[in-house]
Amino acid sequence: MVPTAVSRGLLGCECCGLVSEVVAAADYPRCPRCGFALHTRKPQSLQRTTAYLLAAVVLYLPANTLPIMATASAIAGRESHTILGGIIELWHTGSWDLALIVFIASIAVPILKIAALTLLAFTARRKSRWRQAERATLYRVLETVGHWSMLDVFVVVLLVGMVRFGAFASVEPGAGLLAFGGVVVLTMLASSSFDPRLIWPEPATDD
Amino acid sequence: MQAVTRRVLAGLGLVDRQPAVNAHPELVACEECDAVYVRRLLEAGEVARCARCSAVLGRGHLLAVDGQLALSSGSLVVFVLGNVSDIVTLDLRGVHSQVTLWESIWYTWLSGQEVVALLAGATAFGFPLAVILLRLYVLTPLAAGKRVRGFVPAMRALRWVTRWSMVEVFLFGTLVAIVKIAGLASVVPGVGIFSFGVLTLLLAANQAAGLHGIWQQASKLPP
Repeated sequence: MVPTAVSRGLLGCECCGLVSEVVAAADYPRCPRCGFALHTRKPQSLQRTTAYLLAAVVLYLPANTLPIMATASAIAGRESHTILGGIIELWHTGSWDLALIVFIASIAVPILKIAALTLLAFTARRKSRWRQAERATLYRVLETVGHWSMLDVFVVVLLVGMVRFGAFASVEPGAGLLAFGGVVVLTMLASSSFDPRLIWPEPATDD
Repeated sequence: MQAVTRRVLAGLGLVDRQPAVNAHPELVACEECDAVYVRRLLEAGEVARCARCSAVLGRGHLLAVDGQLALSSGSLVVFVLGNVSDIVTLDLRGVHSQVTLWESIWYTWLSGQEVVALLAGATAFGFPLAVILLRLYVLTPLAAGKRVRGFVPAMRALRWVTRWSMVEVFLFGTLVAIVKIAGLASVVPGVGIFSFGVLTLLLAANQAAGLHGIWQQASKLPP
């Protein structure tokens, strides 16, 4: 049996890591070292995660259907590019390795993140004890790779700055980029709102 | 006094609180599953993991405070260099164009995507700069054995901005952009891109140490 902070009347500070013991009933205990509010679990963690997730799902559609940028050049004329279109283009020009990386960062990571957080929030709500160690690892992976989806936002911003040859060639950002940036920020907020301690409901069991 | 007012004042440290909690610095609680352990000193390079969920509980410090301070000072130098130098120089049939991070953000703003420009500016410039400056602000006095004024709010802000600093993603974005543009114009990488490369490494080395070590170091000192 693993001794947990909750079962011993202790609270771990989410900000500075100090462990405190609750000695008197306080409606609002704070960390004696950094003053951060102490709680056994983040308040309204699942509600906030779900809200951010839903918003991310809503924005996911325009992010992938609207053009993230438009190129204009004297030779090819005006063209709009979606995220998927840009990846296919990279693939055809022979950069299959970069195409794969952008595919992972822009398409795979956001989908997997939304799916994984849905799974985590759903199992946490049911106080499930199913594959707890694996779910804990899944959460850690999400936290590590989450911000890499911002890749496409930076690529377009840099292309806008680089390609400024007047009538010859120019690049403009599109509305899809705003939606895409929104998806990245919202999924990051969703995963930071999720409290991984909810994967381990009390009382802890020996398994 | 009204409960709410008292709560706010107590949060700011302006009124004495009932000692509702006692600190237990000899213990460590897993941040990801709440398991408690007795703290022990780790050797340099040693990593302690939670027996239940295998989250990292702590790392033995490879770098003391002055080592971390050196990393942060180095980060500031390459950060400034990366932001004032060209990332790439483009050559389209004799027409040259140099690009800095700021120009890219500015032209994105001008083309009507102000929110995207702000997002890129914050994650590639604002938050990384805040990380470096806050680390310097906290670590410089700490290396001299002093605790700086506003240590607690600075550390809390540091925890927040570290999460939203994305220099490494920006660096990779420049590489993808260079490959995408290679068919249109010839591209020469500039000092900026190498500076961001070094900055990525320095920030990663800095962040590997985490913030709990700084908290512990500071709590040994009088406030």
